[in-house]
Amino acid sequence: MTEISLTINGAPVTASVEPRTSLADFVRDGQRLTGTHLGCEHGVCGACTVEIDGEPMRSCITYAVSCDGAAVTTIEGFDDDAAMEDLRQAFTENHGLQCGYCTPGMLVTARDIVRRLPDADEKRVRLELSGNLCRCTGYVGIVRAILSVLEKRRG
Amino acid sequence: MSATGIGASVLRKEDRRFLAGRGNYVADIAAANEVALAFVRSPVAHGRIRSIVKPDGAEHLVFAADDLDGVAPMRAPSKLPGYKPADFPALATGKVRFVGETVAACVGATRAEAEDLAQLVEVEYEELAPAVDMLAARAPGAPLVHEAWGDNIALATRTEGDMAAVAARAAHTVTREFRMSRQAMVPMEGRAVLAEWNSRMDQLIVHTATQVPHLIRAGLALFLGLEQRQVRVIAPDVGGGFGLKTYVQPEELVACWYAMKSGRPARWISDRREHLIADANCREHHYIVTAHADADGRILGLEGEVTVDAGAYSIYPFTNCLEAAMAGGNLPGPYAIEAYGVRTWTVVTNKPPLVPYRGVARPGVAFAMEMLLDAVAREVGREPHEVRMINMVPESAMPYTNIAKKTFDSGDHPGAVARAAGMIDVASVRERQARGEPDGRLIGLGFGSYVEQAAHGTSVFASWGVQMVPGYEQAGAKLTPDGGLELRVGVQSHGQGMETTLAQVASEVLGIDPGNVSVIHGDTGLTPYSTGTYASRSIVMAGGAVSRACKVLVERMKTIGGHLLQCEPDEIRVADGRVMGPAGDLPFSEIGRVWYLNPEELPADVDTDGVEAVVGYRPEPDHGTFSYSTHAAVIALDPDTGAVEVLDYIVVEDCGTMVNPMVVSGQVYGGAAQGIGTALYEESPFDESGQPLASTFADYHLPGAPEVPAFRLAHMVTPSPHTEHGIKGMGEGSTIPTPAVIGNAVNDALKRYGAEVNETPISPRRILAAIAASQGEAA
Amino acid sequence: MKPARFDYARASDVADAVRLLGSTDGFNKPLGGGMSLGPMMNLRLAQPDLVVEVRRLDALKTVAEEDGHLAVGAGITHSAIEDGRIPEVTNGMMRFVAGQIAYRAVRNRGTIGGSIAHADPAADWPTALRALGAEVAIDGPDGARIVPLADFQLAAFTVALEPADIVTALRVPRLSPAARWGYYKICRKPGEFADSIGAVVHDPERDFTNVVLGATDGAPLDVAALAEAVKGGGTVEIDDAKAALAAQGAVFDDYGNQIHAVALSRAIKGALAS
Ligand SMILES: Cc1cc2nc3c(=O)[nH]c(=O)nc-3n(C[C@H](O)[C@H](O)[C@H](O)COP(=O)(O)OP(=O)(O)OC[C@H]3O[C@@H](n4cnc5c(N)ncnc54)[C@H](O)[C@@H]3O)c2cc1C
Ligand code: FES
Ligand code: FES
Repeated sequence: MTEISLTINGAPVTASVEPRTSLADFVRDGQRLTGTHLGCEHGVCGACTVEIDGEPMRSCITYAVSCDGAAVTTIEGFDDDAAMEDLRQAFTENHGLQCGYCTPGMLVTARDIVRRLPDADEKRVRLELSGNLCRCTGYVGIVRAILSVLEKRRG
Repeated sequence: MSATGIGASVLRKEDRRFLAGRGNYVADIAAANEVALAFVRSPVAHGRIRSIVKPDGAEHLVFAADDLDGVAPMRAPSKLPGYKPADFPALATGKVRFVGETVAACVGATRAEAEDLAQLVEVEYEELAPAVDMLAARAPGAPLVHEAWGDNIALATRTEGDMAAVAARAAHTVTREFRMSRQAMVPMEGRAVLAEWNSRMDQLIVHTATQVPHLIRAGLALFLGLEQRQVRVIAPDVGGGFGLKTYVQPEELVACWYAMKSGRPARWISDRREHLIADANCREHHYIVTAHADADGRILGLEGEVTVDAGAYSIYPFTNCLEAAMAGGNLPGPYAIEAYGVRTWTVVTNKPPLVPYRGVARPGVAFAMEMLLDAVAREVGREPHEVRMINMVPESAMPYTNIAKKTFDSGDHPGAVARAAGMIDVASVRERQARGEPDGRLIGLGFGSYVEQAAHGTSVFASWGVQMVPGYEQAGAKLTPDGGLELRVGVQSHGQGMETTLAQVASEVLGIDPGNVSVIHGDTGLTPYSTGTYASRSIVMAGGAVSRACKVLVERMKTIGGHLLQCEPDEIRVADGRVMGPAGDLPFSEIGRVWYLNPEELPADVDTDGVEAVVGYRPEPDHGTFSYSTHAAVIALDPDTGAVEVLDYIVVEDCGTMVNPMVVSGQVYGGAAQGIGTALYEESPFDESGQPLASTFADYHLPGAPEVPAFRLAHMVTPSPHTEHGIKGMGEGSTIPTPAVIGNAVNDALKRYGAEVNETPISPRRILAAIAASQGEAA
Repeated sequence: MKPARFDYARASDVADAVRLLGSTDGFNKPLGGGMSLGPMMNLRLAQPDLVVEVRRLDALKTVAEEDGHLAVGAGITHSAIEDGRIPEVTNGMMRFVAGQIAYRAVRNRGTIGGSIAHADPAADWPTALRALGAEVAIDGPDGARIVPLADFQLAAFTVALEPADIVTALRVPRLSPAARWGYYKICRKPGEFADSIGAVVHDPERDFTNVVLGATDGAPLDVAALAEAVKGGGTVEIDDAKAALAAQGAVFDDYGNQIHAVALSRAIKGALAS
């Protein structure tokens, strides 16, 4: 067991973890933050995407021990975030989710897109979404939602 | 149309929790004192288990077939004559029949610890020759998956058609061979179960990711030797199903057994590798089809040989022969054909069982029929969309009973083709194709049409010999004391948005705001019996039942309302969430208050069943609804790399009355994206020893946002003459033609080579091989 | 899909990392971003006894311009390169390549050093950096050394690292302003590992021309005959590339022969057009 200290959604957390515990399992089982989903556990599907030190990363292949000292934000930690609020509204208005399983990871990626690539067009948005798989929506509503938020932010 | 009733694109009530990360899937539920399960799985496709050695000191945490006292093998018989059932054991007994089959279960405090144990269990196998390819397995002398059978054929059927008559008149006879490869269903949430024994209730409580909670309950009770009242199945939020979550799984049975035996909650959460190698797969069909056509391309007669690779075992409850039955019945598609003959074989192999996936058999059927049709069009030198239109049943002939005895209820099938052809602009695509692309890619245009029988009723399922025949779908509607509404349905919503759409149906009848309606689903303890969500049936059946139940409430409220408003009940109108009389009106909360809290104010003739009703519903006739659609696509094919890009994709569809057009469109998009996956990317290949070659997403390619086109969609609306509100089922439809549409577009692009690719996925490898083969022939 | 147990240590500096890796006889692994090691461990395809995290070492986060080279710390992430957060000495080639690796969330953590050490034949950096003529800076129990990539990559997933060695930096030669490059990757989907990669660097001023084929079954392959063709200024058609591969005994299945030739031909055309 290894002792780690980090912040999760702004709150300091100190815990003792097995080195083999992924960040995803740590937040889900250890912290009961179950909004972070596991869809593949090998880095491809994006369901587990969370923010580590301000950047989206895969929590399934990142071990909790290597997040000692990091600031982790899971989907539950964006309740007061303006970009996330716009995205959530746009996702519902554009029917960007069905079963909801991919949604938390999709939103973390979407938030990165609208902040990092303010000029992204549809083609770029689709490319940037290539690491987030959705089996339900055919991506139509997701792409529309992100484009609408980009549009809004461009004013 | 009201703003919240049928026809309104009401935003989904369920979205809020998912967007907040507060959904509640099985893996999110924690039980005190729970254990996790992991499985030792067979590394060989076919073999005898010689020995199983449990790790020292952990004998009490590892379980093999012999330990599973009281667990019966899963049997899913069919009543069809000649059918051979293939029992599916929870843990392999004596023999293993596919790579990934569950051999032993290991228990740990965490999943990681359970996996540690699984790694230490030593199993010795005597390897046997496997039956891997379905055609080879069908032939005499193949290795036998179930020795006692004498062959590998679970069921063979034959329907004779009068071919001689049409063959003589045919100007063209076109034969093709098609293969739709085996694939996985890949809901983003895998299968998951958490089972616990509740002594107070004398009940096994099973949280499980399922589409069909009541059927799972029946199966678990049957195989665990419990009475059904002793099993409660709860499907909480479910992360997609697509057919995968309709059968009782070996792992589920073992988790239940262990929970009962140990008294501790037992959890099994499938991981992606388990899904890709060991869960039931889908789709694998082989066709040899022949069209006898006149000089215009009118198909007079159709002959088919359909082989379905059903894998090793039959799944409960839908069996392994449903696919072939559906294929045989659906091959003629939306076309008016005079003569039809078909043979089908359901073949067992040393691969995981086959389970119906979104579209059930029909994507394979359409891949064969729609691509055969285009081969006919090429043969007669006509545009494929024109050949479709002349072969289709015209609107004037509706209702129409086709050669396979399906009665299309309504609709303008050729009209949908014409509209799709207009939207894709055939003339300009042909022009572009002739002009050539600056980058050397080849343009291809493809069409595909289908008619989707959905919400199949009692008579249809009975004819398939299935044990679980759906009857009258029931829904409960209950006015709460404060004037809200609770709906109870036995179907399960796992992405379809039924918490919203069923509330809309109630809103249509009662005028109540969907925000004041709760839809309770997916829990056998709280909902009326239903066979569940599959076959695009839920909005037709549960929607119809909700409507009927709400109508009963209307009558009940009229009596109470008439009394309170001092008028005759039949002067009362229920609308906008209010009970309205000639001289005044009341909110529903007043009705609730009187019934529940102040019954002293009730009229003497009040219906004593109160403001709660469970009502059954079945459309008559019960042959199901018939949605239809035509898709069209333009692709660009790189002849050097074999890469295909979908440039444009049109869907024109008619599913009758749309309860929520936004949700309908979402279902269409999602299904078509899955069809793109089948067409171009997805395959679960096996090598000759039966080893699965795609065990991670590095090998199993799911379409992502860049691979899926921005679909263009048009709706036509021909309400069903037979169902409540004219609703037709549609959830599966758009997966059906997509592989054929893309296949036709690819073969259109390849026609300059005289090459065709007739196997999914239409990969660069297959395209380049087809081009190379055609050049070999040409040389 | 959970890893087998392992011990974990976070190194305080390079020497500490080397010491930790050599401290036991077991199977010890440096941990970079974990974007390749993580999946392997989750699938239990790799079961190290000890994992030593080197990702955050200052020395591995350093980028320094030296006599004609840029030394890119092994811990630099793909996204840092993609975003131009480090100096660009390859006329845009490294930024271009970085942006095509995996997905942004993987690029944010995966490192250039990890990629080179992992040596997946289908990965991008092994082929791209070989085409650039890069060298690997290594530190280990016997001290520091520098090995050309061409000598470092021995086979698929096999490199010239001793058990307690770590990669500290990639030394990338600075291209002349007029140098041209081409990079063409064939894969089923963006972010997927490649079916084929053609990489070309043509820097006449430095008299340096390299044509490399990646995503074969082994280490990336120099295709000298095509480098000569590029020097000669001629275009290379698919059949020319096929012939060149066949002539040096690089024969694949039908699909491989075709797409490898296409990737090389297109990479070269891209380089000449740029
Ligand atoms: C879904 C997915 C898609 C991907 N797609 C691509 C792609 O298209 N192209 C591509 O090139 N890559 C791809 N990758 C791999 C990715 O680029 C990784 O970042 C990279 O291969 C490894 O870097 P890392 O820092 O994560 O290394 P790690 O995973 O930490 O380590 C990889 C190996 O290198 C060793 N190692 C790490 N650092 C050092 C060091 N400093 N010295 C010595 N040994 C070290 C480790 O012990 C291990 O053996 C993909 C990864 C994923 C998860
Ligand atoms: S669960 Fe992490 S990428 Fe799929
Ligand atoms: S909404 Fe179901 S996976 Fe995306």
